[in-house]
Amino acid sequence: MRRVRPIIVGCLSLAVAAVVFVIPFLFIALQAVKSRSEASRLNFQLPQDWLLWDNLVAVVEARNYQLLLAYFNSTIITLFSVTILVVLSAMVGYVMQRRRSRWNSIAQGAVLIGLMMPPAVVPTIGLLQSIGLFKTMTGMVLIQVAYNLSFSTLLYRSFIGTIPRDLDEAALIDGAKPWQIFFRVVMPLLKPVTVTNIVVQSIAIFNDFTNPLYYLPGRENVTVQLTLFNFQSMYSSQYNLLFMNILLVTIPPLIVFIFFNRQIVAGMTAGGVKG
Amino acid sequence: MVEAIRPKRKSPYPLWFFLPAAVIYGVFFLLPTATSFWYSLTRWDLTTAEFIGLENFRQFFSEPFLVQGLINTLIYAAMTSGLKTVFGLLLAVLLTSNIMARSFLRTVVFFPVLVSTIGVGITFTVMMHPTRGIINVALDAIGIDGPGWLTDPALALVSVALVDLWKGVGLATLIFIAGLAAINPDYYEASRIDGATRLQQFRRITLPLVQPATITVVTLSLIGGLRSFDLIWAMTRGGPGFSSDVLASVIYKQYQAGFYGLSTAGNVILFALIAAILVPLTRMFHRREIDQ
Amino acid sequence: MSGVQLKNIRKSFGALEVIKGIDLDIRPGEFVVFVGPSGCGKSTLLRMIAGLEDVTSGLLTIGGKDVTWADPSKRGIAMVFQSYALYPHMTVAENIGFGLSLAGRPKAEIESKVREAAESLQLTPLLDRKPKALSGGQRQRVAIGRAIVRNPAVFLFDEPLSNLDASLRAQMRLEITDLHKKLGTTMIYVTHDQVEAMTMADKIVVLKGGEVEQVGTPMDLYTKPATPFVAGFIGSPRMNLYTGAAAEGLGCKTYGIRPEDVTLSSQSGRWSGRIRHVERLGADALVYFKVEGFGDMVARTHSSADFQPEATVWATPTLGAEYFFDR
Repeated sequence: MRRVRPIIVGCLSLAVAAVVFVIPFLFIALQAVKSRSEASRLNFQLPQDWLLWDNLVAVVEARNYQLLLAYFNSTIITLFSVTILVVLSAMVGYVMQRRRSRWNSIAQGAVLIGLMMPPAVVPTIGLLQSIGLFKTMTGMVLIQVAYNLSFSTLLYRSFIGTIPRDLDEAALIDGAKPWQIFFRVVMPLLKPVTVTNIVVQSIAIFNDFTNPLYYLPGRENVTVQLTLFNFQSMYSSQYNLLFMNILLVTIPPLIVFIFFNRQIVAGMTAGGVKG
Repeated sequence: MVEAIRPKRKSPYPLWFFLPAAVIYGVFFLLPTATSFWYSLTRWDLTTAEFIGLENFRQFFSEPFLVQGLINTLIYAAMTSGLKTVFGLLLAVLLTSNIMARSFLRTVVFFPVLVSTIGVGITFTVMMHPTRGIINVALDAIGIDGPGWLTDPALALVSVALVDLWKGVGLATLIFIAGLAAINPDYYEASRIDGATRLQQFRRITLPLVQPATITVVTLSLIGGLRSFDLIWAMTRGGPGFSSDVLASVIYKQYQAGFYGLSTAGNVILFALIAAILVPLTRMFHRREIDQ
Repeated sequence: MSGVQLKNIRKSFGALEVIKGIDLDIRPGEFVVFVGPSGCGKSTLLRMIAGLEDVTSGLLTIGGKDVTWADPSKRGIAMVFQSYALYPHMTVAENIGFGLSLAGRPKAEIESKVREAAESLQLTPLLDRKPKALSGGQRQRVAIGRAIVRNPAVFLFDEPLSNLDASLRAQMRLEITDLHKKLGTTMIYVTHDQVEAMTMADKIVVLKGGEVEQVGTPMDLYTKPATPFVAGFIGSPRMNLYTGAAAEGLGCKTYGIRPEDVTLSSQSGRWSGRIRHVERLGADALVYFKVEGFGDMVARTHSSADFQPEATVWATPTLGAEYFFDR
């Protein structure tokens, strides 16, 4: 009896999970390889011809290769934002964890506000406009940094707590300057949490829809999520291409997830428990 | 007695490490947040702002569809947060028990968290199509007349919340799994010797000891729920009518319509709502944690 | 070689004063051990000498130079930490040479100095390993190597042996003593273990509650403890100490007698008591007994002596080995 139970429960949950969590993805993949008329029936029938390549080409070529531009833009934004985020939040997390000063409670409050509060969008647009950063990639990068600093700082601060202070002091006695202690001794030891930060924030920024919608309108600046959103109205009759597009946006996080499963889980739970 | 003159010795942890982050955060997040309180009291076209007192707020609370947005925000947040907590805990208990294909199931449940919200929104919009969508086709096959998930004004918000649950429950599950893993298994063995049933173990041991994780899940999903925009926007754009509008979509719509002052007032209301709900909540949780 | 002087050194954390005015003169080349129970301020004092902790008031000189407010790296000190504090991401060679590389020394010089230090500590075959791949004793040596290449005027050790097992500890005690003999450098060593203090020190500083209780050579402290605290702290098993009526009867506030200065007999003696317990250590035996109206007493005796629990025993203190403290 005891040995049978896990199998029954397992089978049952497998079946339910398959229906609830796997079917939507199968649905996406299936529609993406169908022809236009087959896809418009929105059902689970297998396609007559597997048009994976044709649909892919059609989506990529659409609107004068807009998708490629979108991938390029999103990649650039993600790359720069995450790089800046990692360096700046590690520095803040380090000093917050190590030093007792009255600035700490201020920084702590700022982190908390950043985790909780939504941005004030229209005033931000006004500000960006007045300093010439509205509708620019630079502006978008700075916004992503500002909005995601709190979470990254949180991750770094709790991890730095596990690094013995003795190391800083040994380096100090060895004659290291403060920035040398940080960049040559502490930062290399933060590698696990840095990987977590890079992975989690890359996915968040790559998947971000709301902020580019507000701060980065305009055709030459399109991002991946905006393109997908626009395709929704454009391809209301071409579900095969719409779902090919969805498939394309789903693949990058899937690849990242396969390689960095552990770090993602660590980051999500660590950030979560403190949040 | 020799008293050395005290030169200020530099700390190895310099405060200027805060500076670059503080500048970016201050300029692009805190400053607009602070000025929003002023702009919410103005008629504003991004270049000139004319002070009109509380007119924007008066307008906000006199327009039924704007008030509807506020109420919907509360309903949506309460629903998603409640559902994610309950299902997250149940899934976590299931996925920490000794069952077949455990790690595969964990992966499957968690993966939607990482997928593009817009992609998920579009997919479910198609699957929830009233006549051709596979959900209603499947229901039809077993003799149930499926509802118009996103076309029925009474149901649209609930449908979106269910999709939110589908996408977000993996994170709640993950946090609960971490919380369950932190419980010393000795408690379960001790209680089994004391004759506790499985249900008693769940109620008397698991629930109280997993509380830190519960607090985290409730807090996180409430914040997410109150701020929620992209899924709703991808699935219904607040429709049909204004039946699934929330504060965040109202803010966007008023911005698009050029009512910048009104949009900002909506933003301020959202701040106030989040503060009003989360500050007492975290206080209460904090006190309870200290009590234990 | 440099001496170290502390003049009325004080340290407070907020309203709490943890170091209450310490004056100390450490001569060049001396091996000084700070010893005391946990919380006595010995580590704080060492960290103040290192410059890792600010001095609240007082004057600190190393080699005659006022370094009260100097940066740690400018004091001519090197420190071996309790945790060794080896940089986990660097090899043994990089760990030892880190200070030199920070100072911008040429590569060839760094390499030769690292080799030299490694040679003297038998670390040469391990130079390319990371600290993770080393045993406790090897890590300890790397930490010492890192200190040696700095060519310091003063070595500071913060409980360096507390993470090692007993046999390794004895061996490292010897190695550090040898190092001191070879280099002749001033060394300051913090420990809570009075055995380390007794076996290694030229001079022991006993600290209690942020104040110096007594300073002296190991045998000074053993034979002439200034206070009951020092008497109880130095020596194992600890001295039998009696206060209250028992001591007043002998004309003092605290009366002390070391276990090795108590002679036992089954016929006669100054005190009689009932044996509670006998510990046979091999060559010696420790006899625990209770003297009525006086208190518990331990005596060290030859293990061939036949004392059994529950038997009555007579004890007599060795003449001239008794201590009469006024506090």
